[in-house]
Amino acid sequence: MDVDTRNMTPTNLIDKIVVPGDVVLDLTKMENQTIKLGSGLRQDYDCISVMQAGKLRLSKPNKYWVESSQKRYVPSLEDTVLGIVVEHRSDNFLVDIKAPNLAFLPVLAFEGGTRRNIPKFETGTLIYARVVKANGIMNPELSCTDASGKAAEFGQLKNGYMFETSTGLARMLLSSPTCPVLEALGKKISFETAVGFNGRVWVNASSPDDVILVSNAIMRSEFLSGTQQRIMAEKLLQRLEKV
Amino acid sequence: MVGMVIERDSVGEEGDDVVTPGEFLGEATEFIAGKGAYVSPNGRSVRACLTGRRKVTAAPPGSHDNRSTIEIVGHKAHGAVPQPGSIVIARVTKVMARNASADIMCVDSKAVKEKFSGIIRQQDVRATEIDKVDMYQSFRPGDIVRALVLSLGDARAYYLSTAKNELGVVSAQSISGGTMVPISWTEMQCPLTGQIEQRKVAKVD
Repeated sequence: MDVDTRNMTPTNLIDKIVVPGDVVLDLTKMENQTIKLGSGLRQDYDCISVMQAGKLRLSKPNKYWVESSQKRYVPSLEDTVLGIVVEHRSDNFLVDIKAPNLAFLPVLAFEGGTRRNIPKFETGTLIYARVVKANGIMNPELSCTDASGKAAEFGQLKNGYMFETSTGLARMLLSSPTCPVLEALGKKISFETAVGFNGRVWVNASSPDDVILVSNAIMRSEFLSGTQQRIMAEKLLQRLEKV
Repeated sequence: MVGMVIERDSVGEEGDDVVTPGEFLGEATEFIAGKGAYVSPNGRSVRACLTGRRKVTAAPPGSHDNRSTIEIVGHKAHGAVPQPGSIVIARVTKVMARNASADIMCVDSKAVKEKFSGIIRQQDVRATEIDKVDMYQSFRPGDIVRALVLSLGDARAYYLSTAKNELGVVSAQSISGGTMVPISWTEMQCPLTGQIEQRKVAKVD
């Protein structure tokens, strides 16, 4: 197999919008290759077809997936999410993360967690946690520590304001380099945010005006380009200065 | 010339009347209690314990006890009921972190007439390394498994075990919908896509 054909991507739909039923790869033309399929794609005998509407992405060398934005969240491993405690059982908390099932957060999954210092989370507590077990069949499992057992930033989020967004906006807010709207707001206001892959955003700032302004700016920025986001943020900030 | 003795037909006579539980059937000196009948506590009478028609079977010739046997027939035939020690075929309905629920469909190759629930606990999935068992890599909902009934369990479900080579997943469908082929005691392969999935596979001869 000469090098040139191997470097050509076998499909011209990368970064384009695809809908369910589209065939994106023909496996008979790609021999001796290993392809990794992410979410939204499925193998149909000899071709790879799309299951979910969205943008087809490729991560070199061989990982394909469909990026889509929706209101509900499908848990996947190592995602950081914002959950709301629904119930306290004997060995885990039941947490709502906008997924088809409630998630379990073991009472010992905290830094230095022992049976004696179980945190007292009431119903309605907002938690920032990490998904440690997610298959489509069982309830997902969360943890409030990072892989090495330290608390990192996980745990209860106090004060502030939480609102829900689509998963696409959450991913945009978490992308690097910093999302333009957050950068523009950060120049004038000091605030902190926690963004969950499950479409929940928490904002905290020193005054309620700032919290409202930042939240509105984020909610409006979903379908704006980078420049539009900066202009929108600056217009909102001017309102603050006028008052 | 050998004289042939025609044996009396061992199919007994059936009465027409319906008997109910507790009804007196005969003296214990004349009859043996068969299926559906019992000897009363004072040891003297044979009574019915099911509803049906009485049937008298003559004692087989040559036995030292020449009392006839009374049994009750014509009652609704009960389906199979799982007993501890019987091999059952069950369909997995739910897989959770520490156990999997299954609906028992056959007991010892006879289909059941009513629904029985079974539970396979994490420690009963296999015989080795029972604390490292991942339920998701052993069963999926919809799998057909062959299991052994350990005990009557609790009020909700029988306790089942697949901790033997010949117990485990017998038939399973892959994510793509094809019926998978076992390739080892932990893996099955889909014939449509070639993908390998993990199960606790039964060794079928």
